[in-house]
Parts: sequence; structure tokens; C-alpha cells
Amino acid sequence: MKKEQGIKVENLVKHFGEGETRVDVIEGASFTVNKGELLALIAPSGAGKTTLLMMIGCVTEPNSGTIWLGEEKVYENGWLVKDTRSIRREKIGFIFQAPYLIPFLNVIENITLLPQSSGVSEKDTKAKAMELLTYLDIAEKAKMSGSKLSGGQNQRVAIARALANDPQIILADEPTAALDTKRSISVVQMLKKIAVEQGVAIIMVTHDETVLPYCDGIMEIVDKKVVMKDSAEDIRII
Amino acid sequence: MINLAAKDISHSLSKFIITALGVGMLLGIVLIMIGVYRGMISDATTLIDDIGADIWVVQEDTLGPFAEPSRLHEDFKNTLRSVNGISQTSAVTFQNLQLPHPDGRTTRVFALGYDPLGKMIPLNQKRIIEGRGLLHDHYEIVVSKKTGFILNEKIPLGRDLYTVVGITEKTVSSGGDLLVYLSLKDAQKLQFLYSNARIRTDRARGFRGTDATMVNAIVATVKTGHTPEEVAANIRRWKHKGIFTNEGQKEILTGNLIKMASKQIGMFTAILLLVSVVIIAMIIYNMTVEKIKEIAVMKLIGIPNGLIIKMIVQETLLLGVLSFLSGVGFSHLIYTKFPKNVVLQPEDAVKLFAVILVASLLASLFGAKKAIDADPTSAIGG
Repeated sequence: MKKEQGIKVENLVKHFGEGETRVDVIEGASFTVNKGELLALIAPSGAGKTTLLMMIGCVTEPNSGTIWLGEEKVYENGWLVKDTRSIRREKIGFIFQAPYLIPFLNVIENITLLPQSSGVSEKDTKAKAMELLTYLDIAEKAKMSGSKLSGGQNQRVAIARALANDPQIILADEPTAALDTKRSISVVQMLKKIAVEQGVAIIMVTHDETVLPYCDGIMEIVDKKVVMKDSAEDIRII
Repeated sequence: MINLAAKDISHSLSKFIITALGVGMLLGIVLIMIGVYRGMISDATTLIDDIGADIWVVQEDTLGPFAEPSRLHEDFKNTLRSVNGISQTSAVTFQNLQLPHPDGRTTRVFALGYDPLGKMIPLNQKRIIEGRGLLHDHYEIVVSKKTGFILNEKIPLGRDLYTVVGITEKTVSSGGDLLVYLSLKDAQKLQFLYSNARIRTDRARGFRGTDATMVNAIVATVKTGHTPEEVAANIRRWKHKGIFTNEGQKEILTGNLIKMASKQIGMFTAILLLVSVVIIAMIIYNMTVEKIKEIAVMKLIGIPNGLIIKMIVQETLLLGVLSFLSGVGFSHLIYTKFPKNVVLQPEDAVKLFAVILVASLLASLFGAKKAIDADPTSAIGG
């Protein structure tokens, strides 16, 4: 069966500054992540993982290259869409190192905020949010404040929030950094399940070697270039 | 749609209310300052309105008893009565006194002397809350309630003892001093009668008699069919006196006498208002900065700017409205405690409300700018 393209990046280049102060971060990154796949992105701190993620997420503008999200080309030596935030709202789900839930909103409000801002009715967004919370096994926490939940539960809420707008891709920036090994593996397994069952392409930045075996592939930034690894074996993250 | 402002405020409700109360107290002081100004205007005209004259006759080339020393002979009131168009006349005196209390304290008052048996009575009967007005030529005094004297209390003034026969309220002079009423004869004695030693000395120097029949002004009403301006012009031409219509005297009081004071208060009010606006702007800015991480997250996940700005503007407006309401409440709670008259008028509160609304909207621009400038990537580490 032909795999559907989730994320495609070609010759992506990013540098900061010009002249003597110029710092090259990414040089000619090219890769594809298909829908239903969970890819890990590894590299030492400061190597440009988050910058790459933010370029794919239409937050940071690359200097050159091409980005496709699904079948839509969104960047080719310049943004091809006027409102990159609407692309994020419609196509991308973000999961961060810390859950970063909005503290003055309860769990279900945190999840429904984004789809409601896209014009989906309150009733539909709540139904979808409850569905997601049930799927992530925290339905009973719907009315609670994030501050009353454990780190793992908060991260599940953040995952539910990332899924609330039915994204085609999920960009996860060290989602297991604040969790112990057991919970980290649980979260990654959950992401894998979401990728397969919901047909989402997921890139997960991680420093945690123990979660790599649960990913479909591993990308590493080596000397400013993105290299695909075949397996998790022999990978040591500095 | 989730109302972010309502959610944020309810999340930190006590902090929001305390902030609004704090700003409200500042706005309350702004209202009080405006009230002090209104009080000055009201005080300046209360006495003139109570006297109810159409014409004021004062010493030639002076602006009258409230602005400059003015002396003229009491019997001019009889001459004046013969002028065409004049209906009633009355001689009046004005002077500041220190009323001594039994415990040694003194209260500064402004004394109005008038003929209690005359046709024109400057003491507005509506202001008497206890006792009565003056009925006799001597040794009676009507005092303002705020002086602290009670009915039938004896007050030593000059060479005599005066009995409090009436208590009034809301009676103040143009300068805001509490008003007391004396008979014209007593007032003349207190103002113009020198001590025996001084009289003896004056006689030895060749001066004869005293000025005890002088008054500070003569007020008059005009007959129906005549205008105060027309009658005043006639008197001015033939009698060599200073003549003012009632409106002219009011203009001198409000335009000349309290002009500087009101400017002073106006400056204070403007500065206070500016400080209030700056404080509101700073509070909104800080409220936005406190949420900058959440705002960055919202921007990163795709929440439109409009929704974030709406939250900031709604919070600012609510803070402005709540501050204003608490300011109104605060000012009404304390304005009676001020020693001088403070007049709170609804139209001033409405104007302040409009200013606060505009200021709040401007202040919210600071917060909105901060939110728009927030970098979405600052939401994450990396």
C-alpha cells in the first residue's frame, strides 16, 4: 500500500545573522515523514533540533528550501501561505517539553480552545475533547485544573490538546523530558498509537535513548545535516 | 466560545479585585478633588444666592466686600431706596471672627451682619435646622452646625456675650469658612468699635467719633419692570459708588477670587488623573507580561491574535469599570469627612468614567502590543 506523505522537507537551510556573525544551523535538510509514522529527532543540545521543528511548524522562517505539509507546499524560498498561524491551527499539533497548559483554563477548556477559535461549535469541541480524554484514559479529569494533575496526566492533556484540531502532523519537542522512564515509554507508545490509528505524521525531538526503539525511524542532526538512522542501536545521544 | 478574560480573572479574582480597589481609591481621590472644586464654586455663590439681592452697592473703585475692603455709610441704604427702580435695601457687614470655645479652642468663621428687623433677610430660613433666625438687635448669634456650638450656648465676642439662637447647615462663606449671622448693630460694633483706650487716644489726636455706623455693602432688590443693569447704571452715574449686579458679584467671586485656587485644584486633578492612567497602563502591561508564556503558547499552537487581544482589552475595560465603581463608592464614603464643602456631581462622575474608558482602551494597547510582539518560540526550550 502506498504511504501518504505527512511531512516532506527538501534542502532546507537556516542560518542566523549575516557576515562575521553568521551562524549556520541547518544545511540542506531533506527527509520525508509519512502519515502513521513516528520519527525521533536526536542531536546534542544546541544542534538545531528545535529550530528544525519550528521551521516545519511554520513558526520560524527558513532561509531556503521547500516544505510540504501533507500535499500542500507551504514554503519554497518563502512562505506560500499568508497566515502561517492558520496553517498551525489547521494542520499541526504541538506538544512541548512541559505541558504548558493555560493555567486559567481547566483541562477540557485547554483542549477545546484551539478548535473553538477555528469556529467549531462548543458542543462539537467538547464532544471531541471528551473522546480524546477517554482515549488517553483521563476523562475523569476533564473539569480539573492542570495544577491538580500529575506531570504524566498533564502531558496527556497536552497530547489531547495537540489532537483537538485533527492535525495531519504532530511536532513534539521533548515530550518525555520531565517524565520518568516508565511514563516516558507510556507517552511514546501513546504517540505511536495515535500516529497509526489517526494517520498522523509525528516528529518527536528527544534526548531519551530508552524511547527510541518505539519509534519508526530516527533522524539525527550531524554537522548541521539531517541524517536518517536505520535503527536505535549504537546511538548514543550526547 | 471560551471567554479568556473571564476565565483569567476568575482564576485570580482576589488579586484582580484588590488591584481594582487600589486604582479605585486613586480615582476616588480624583472625584474628591473635582468635588472640592465644585464645593468652592458652590460655597462662593451660596451666600450671594441666600442674600438674594439684585444689586450690590459698594465703596467706589472697589470690587466689593468679598474681593477688596469696602466701606460705606449705613444710611446710604435710605438714599438708595429713593432711587427709581429700587424696591428694598439692606446694609450688610462681612468679617472674619475667631469663635472661642469653652475649652480654649477657637473656630474661624465668616460673620454676616444684617438688620434682623429689615425687609431683606440674608439668612435663608431653609438652612435653619434648630432654633430660629435673629429677632433682636443685640447679643444673638446664629451659627453653622459644624462650628460645634449648641443652642443657647454663650459665646464671648468683643465686649459682650452672645447667645446661640439658631443652628444652620450648609452655610459657608466664599472662602469656605463656616458662616455665622449677627445683627448689623452687633457686627458693626465688633468690626468698627475700637477699645476705650483707642477712642481716648483718637480724641486726644483730634479724631472725633467712630466708624461704627459704617457697613461693607448695601444690597438692594429692584422693582418689577426694571432691570438690575438699568438701575445699576443710574446709580453708578449719580451716586459715586461701586455698583454690581448679583451676577457681577458672582463673577468676581468665581472668576477672580477662586480662579487661582481652582486652577491649583485643576492641576492636581489632572496630575492625579494622569497618574491613574499610567498606573492602569502599568497594571495591564504587567498582567500581560505575567501571561507572556501562556500567550506565546497560544500563538504557537495557532490561537489568532484577535482572541488574545480581545482578552487583554476586556480585562482592561473591566478593570477600568470596576476601578471607577469602587472609586465612586470610596469618594461617597469619605467626602463628608472633609472639613470644607465637597460637592460630588453625577455629571463629573460620568465624565471621569468616559476618561477612564478611553484611558483603559489606550492602556490595553500597551498590553496588546506586548502580546503581538511575543515570540511564539519563547514558549519552548531548545
